[in-house]
Amino acid sequence: MIRTYNSLTAALRRQNRKQYLLLFLCCFVSVLLITAFVSIMRSPTVLSVLPEGGDSRKQVMMIFILSVVGCGVFTAYAAGLFLRYKGRELGVLLALGASKRQVGRKLLGEMGALSVLSCLAGMALGVPLACGIWQGFRLLVVDTEEMALTLRPQAALFALVFSASVTAMLLWMAWRALRRTNIMEIISEARRSEPIREVKRWYGPAGILLMVSGMVLGYMAPGFFLEVLHYFPPEAVLSLFYLPLFPGLYMVLLHTVVNGWGQKKNRYQNIIANSMMKFQGRQTVRNMLVITVLIAGGYFGLFYIPTISAQNTLSTKLQPADYAYHYRADQDIPEEPEIRALAEEMRVTVTSFRTADLARLTIDGTTELETETPFGITLEVVYMEELRTDLFLSESACRALTGEAVSVAPGKVLPAASQEDGYTNISRVTNPFTGAVLTVEPEGILENSLLAGRYILSDTDYAALTAGLPTEWRERQIFFDVENVSETYPFAKALFNAIVDRSSQSVAVIDGWDPVIRERCIAEKGYYYADPDYCEANGLGNVDYAQRESSAFRLYWQYMPHFRVLDQNDFTKTVAVFLMLFAFVAIVCFAAVLVIAYTRCVTIALNSRQVYDDLRRLGASPRYLYQSVRRQVGRVFAVPALVGTLAICALYAFILYFNGSPPGFTPSELAGYSANLAVVAIGSAILYAVYRATLRTVLRSLRIQPQRRGRARGIQRTI
Amino acid sequence: MLYVENLHKSYLVANTSVEVLKGVSFQLAEGEFVAVMGPSGSGKTTLLNCISCYIPMDSGDITLGGEHLSGLDEDALAKVRNQKLGFVFQDFMLLDGLTVQDNILLPRILSGGVDDMAETYADDLCRTFGIDHIKDKYPSDISGGERQRTAVARALINHPLLILADEPTGNLDSKSSRAVISSFQRARKNLGATIFMVTHDSYAASFCDRVVLLKDGTVYDTLVNAGQRGAFHDRLLAAVKAMCGEDSDDTDL
Repeated sequence: MIRTYNSLTAALRRQNRKQYLLLFLCCFVSVLLITAFVSIMRSPTVLSVLPEGGDSRKQVMMIFILSVVGCGVFTAYAAGLFLRYKGRELGVLLALGASKRQVGRKLLGEMGALSVLSCLAGMALGVPLACGIWQGFRLLVVDTEEMALTLRPQAALFALVFSASVTAMLLWMAWRALRRTNIMEIISEARRSEPIREVKRWYGPAGILLMVSGMVLGYMAPGFFLEVLHYFPPEAVLSLFYLPLFPGLYMVLLHTVVNGWGQKKNRYQNIIANSMMKFQGRQTVRNMLVITVLIAGGYFGLFYIPTISAQNTLSTKLQPADYAYHYRADQDIPEEPEIRALAEEMRVTVTSFRTADLARLTIDGTTELETETPFGITLEVVYMEELRTDLFLSESACRALTGEAVSVAPGKVLPAASQEDGYTNISRVTNPFTGAVLTVEPEGILENSLLAGRYILSDTDYAALTAGLPTEWRERQIFFDVENVSETYPFAKALFNAIVDRSSQSVAVIDGWDPVIRERCIAEKGYYYADPDYCEANGLGNVDYAQRESSAFRLYWQYMPHFRVLDQNDFTKTVAVFLMLFAFVAIVCFAAVLVIAYTRCVTIALNSRQVYDDLRRLGASPRYLYQSVRRQVGRVFAVPALVGTLAICALYAFILYFNGSPPGFTPSELAGYSANLAVVAIGSAILYAVYRATLRTVLRSLRIQPQRRGRARGIQRTI
Repeated sequence: MLYVENLHKSYLVANTSVEVLKGVSFQLAEGEFVAVMGPSGSGKTTLLNCISCYIPMDSGDITLGGEHLSGLDEDALAKVRNQKLGFVFQDFMLLDGLTVQDNILLPRILSGGVDDMAETYADDLCRTFGIDHIKDKYPSDISGGERQRTAVARALINHPLLILADEPTGNLDSKSSRAVISSFQRARKNLGATIFMVTHDSYAASFCDRVVLLKDGTVYDTLVNAGQRGAFHDRLLAAVKAMCGEDSDDTDL
């Protein structure tokens, strides 16, 4: 027997426990995923390999923002659903004389307790989830010292802020629901449909146009600002150029839900499913939008793995020598006799051995002088006769190294390049010690991935320019091949260790370190950002011989050898943190997608029970009912999956095409893109499996028998 | 006991103000059973919602048991709804998670708790309305008529000055409708209840002492029952026909 208001609300809670549980789970999952995401994203393990201001960090941040917005919208949806159910109950209590204060206190208390508990549970389990997935990667995929996960308390702070926002949003929604001016409005809330206003047929094509505009504008804007206006606005401003994507996406989804695509032969076909979707329009489209964006974000994260894997596979496969390394001439690095002795000791047969002298000379070019303003960075393009240094070799040395009949006329320069790495045009080469200057004119290109970025001069020009260069400005380049290269990993490892062990601290510098830039920087600012002491503070990878297995060392050391077998075998380990980070991001996004789509479909069942009972009474056949449910559930999964997948595939292709100069696809990009399509196939198969499971749950809930597919044309006649 | 004076109420529909009640005035004496009839859109439910304090009125005055409702704040209005009014809705508005007896006691629970006396009174009401045997069942387990009789019992639990019923027979078959009307008659006879009912059902209205006919937001006519229910029903039908126009078949009230 219920005697008090408290026991009354407890009884109502028991009755509506499914609604409470649904809201609890939605908040819990949102906070769980965001906590896990932010824990990994702000982890020093990840931050140490993501260069500050680099593309990968920006991409992760972008997907994170989308996930936060997505989870926020999803939680708002769940809270809205909960309040619609509560609306009738609240209305009855108010109608019978409960005061708004009395009802409001209880509702806000319940909402507050529910959100705080779910957020606390999400935060508490988010960190173990992140650690669990990461450890799973280490156990099942790849494990390196660098993969050891450390977490930062700041991540918990963000999770706390997100949780507080979720709680505040839930309380605000409850307060707003109570604030309605009259009781009838509160009572009718549960029955209110959300019809979408008329959607013109041009919405679909216009949406596609906006999406394409967003992609093009967003991607092209930085280049336009940089190259045409010589001004780099703040990142937030640049992000605005992507904005047309979202209204475009919304319009496409709206058009799909309300009008559908193509000419309808029979407007009565699927009328039930279509109108039910339409009259829960706002919720449906909002959910679909979130799912679409998260699918796109998940794939975007996942695409990173095949892209760089294919790039590495192809570049190591195509590199013109099995073993290649260069070192400063003043270093005591193993040379031919030592290498041959080591090879013999390790039963490796060296089949050819080529060496060449290199010289570091100063080149001219243009640079952009940055001036920071409150509205962004203005860039002044300045030509400098002594811009930076690069490595040069003579035509005969080049012939010895490559075996190609290279010939360079005096006064000319032959730049080396590869399909992945381009070169810079130069017109003046200087020896900074003697002041000797040579005006050169570029002629042709030497295709060689191991020499990409270097320049070949005629023998006479090379001799004249390099005379008087100190040993520290001279280098040696070594290429050699071996028999059965794939079996020489121990030798490669031993040689790599020998090179690192015998390199002095003076060459422990990152790839971009340059003596001319250094001199200029120190003269202007008093320090050089690429010096080892300043690298970390400037978001650049630090080169530490003790951490020779780390990605920072392998990716950024200026003298990192290129041993085919080492690069092939150690690739996964080298970029383990990158790969696992993006895999993690994809897992979080897809988990959110599956939870949102599942919840949305389950609420179709909860909302539509009466409709399907009525249809059954009107004589609808089991097949008709099945088709109607399948169409709705299918649309919640299929439309966002299709739109999100196509949009991200198009955007990725666009980025790959335009990221090189001249625009086009390199073979490794094409290989990576093909691998991405395989990833899409796997992702789609998983989505389909969850769709089938969800459909079964919804059908069970509506007491509708699953039917075999087919004979859809006859369905209309059965009602 | 209930005085409605020059009541006006408008709704905003697509940025246009539509006046639904255009100065409605009438009164109800204690123990009276009065119905309001009128075509769809005549303002019946709006009138009831204004008297119930569910929606605010634009102008006019409603006095219930000597208390002016227009000047009351939200808490006071809630108290009026709880203590002075009883409600019966077309779709019953019972809470699914509560038993029949708990539903009947709901207004008492809201006003501060249930004592033994209230429980005894709830049992009496169950017996009066023939729902004693289902008092431990849940609304989903009982028939529409039983649900509505439960709602009538709930409306009476706080000894209200006035019962407001919105289409109480609208969702019921004729047998259940009759049972609900009988419940109102018993409530009136045994408990001295005053009932104000909005209905489309001329048969149900024919049991009332008076029927107020509403058309286009104004009182069109008031018919008084002289005692013969059948004759009153015929008069009612004729008046409705006249109100809806000679050439119209719209007697759907």
